[in-house]
Amino acid sequence: MSSSVGPDCTELKQKYDNCFNKWYSEKFLKGDTTPECEDLFKDYRACVMVTLKEKGIDKLLDESRKEAPFPSTSFGENNNNDNKQS
Amino acid sequence: MKIFETGHDYSYEWNLVSAAHWCKYPNEKATHVKCVDVLNQHVDPETGILTMERLFTVKQNVPTLILKILGSDTTHYVREVSTIDPRTKTLTMRSVNLTMANLLTVEETIQYKVHPEDSTKTQFTQQAAISAGSSVVRWGNLLEDFTLKRFQQNAATGREGFHKVLERFVVMAEAGHQQQQKAVRPSDSQK
Repeated sequence: MSSSVGPDCTELKQKYDNCFNKWYSEKFLKGDTTPECEDLFKDYRACVMVTLKEKGIDKLLDESRKEAPFPSTSFGENNNNDNKQS
Repeated sequence: MKIFETGHDYSYEWNLVSAAHWCKYPNEKATHVKCVDVLNQHVDPETGILTMERLFTVKQNVPTLILKILGSDTTHYVREVSTIDPRTKTLTMRSVNLTMANLLTVEETIQYKVHPEDSTKTQFTQQAAISAGSSVVRWGNLLEDFTLKRFQQNAATGREGFHKVLERFVVMAEAGHQQQQKAVRPSDSQK
């Protein structure tokens, strides 16, 4: 299992990963798309957010998301539409 | 700008390949990927499509000259957004570098689909667009060439590493299946 960018978050991450992998194979791929593992994800994510802020990665993400907000997948393709805030 | 394109067929079904790709790291071939984190996830209630946003922490050695252009820190971050459509059995991943974005942009698109001629196989396509930014006027070509070469190397080890992950995944999936079979059978002999 991979580790987290926040070393203190790796344990939380692996708990979440185990839950997600199980859900993905046993539910999602079989047609049941009801989300699960939400509490585990919340805890893990909260931990990672702290590290992202500490390392300044949150700012890098914000820049990238300006061009392609989640859940969009088109990097650099929607420059025309979103920047009309002046 | 440099473009890189490649394709490959995996002799495993799409369901297994898409599940295994979440477990792709760590693997012995891709030692440059140090961490993988999930930042966001979303299931569209209408289409059933799962969208995931992930952060990759990558550490890789680079030649000294390139290091001087890029700066001294060899830890880099990549943002990936992927969509998984279980109905069309399509997994699409798009990623872009977060660090050094003013110097160099590497945008990558990967797709895993059921092989059009053999549904027991999965077709993999990868495309990357590598372009040096305006801050690198003199060294732009050098940087692009180096990045392209490194990208090709990583793509090759990426495939090898994923093959090993898939082999392990099949074994684990079969072991899990056999355990389930045993749990269902105990009362058969009492008829």
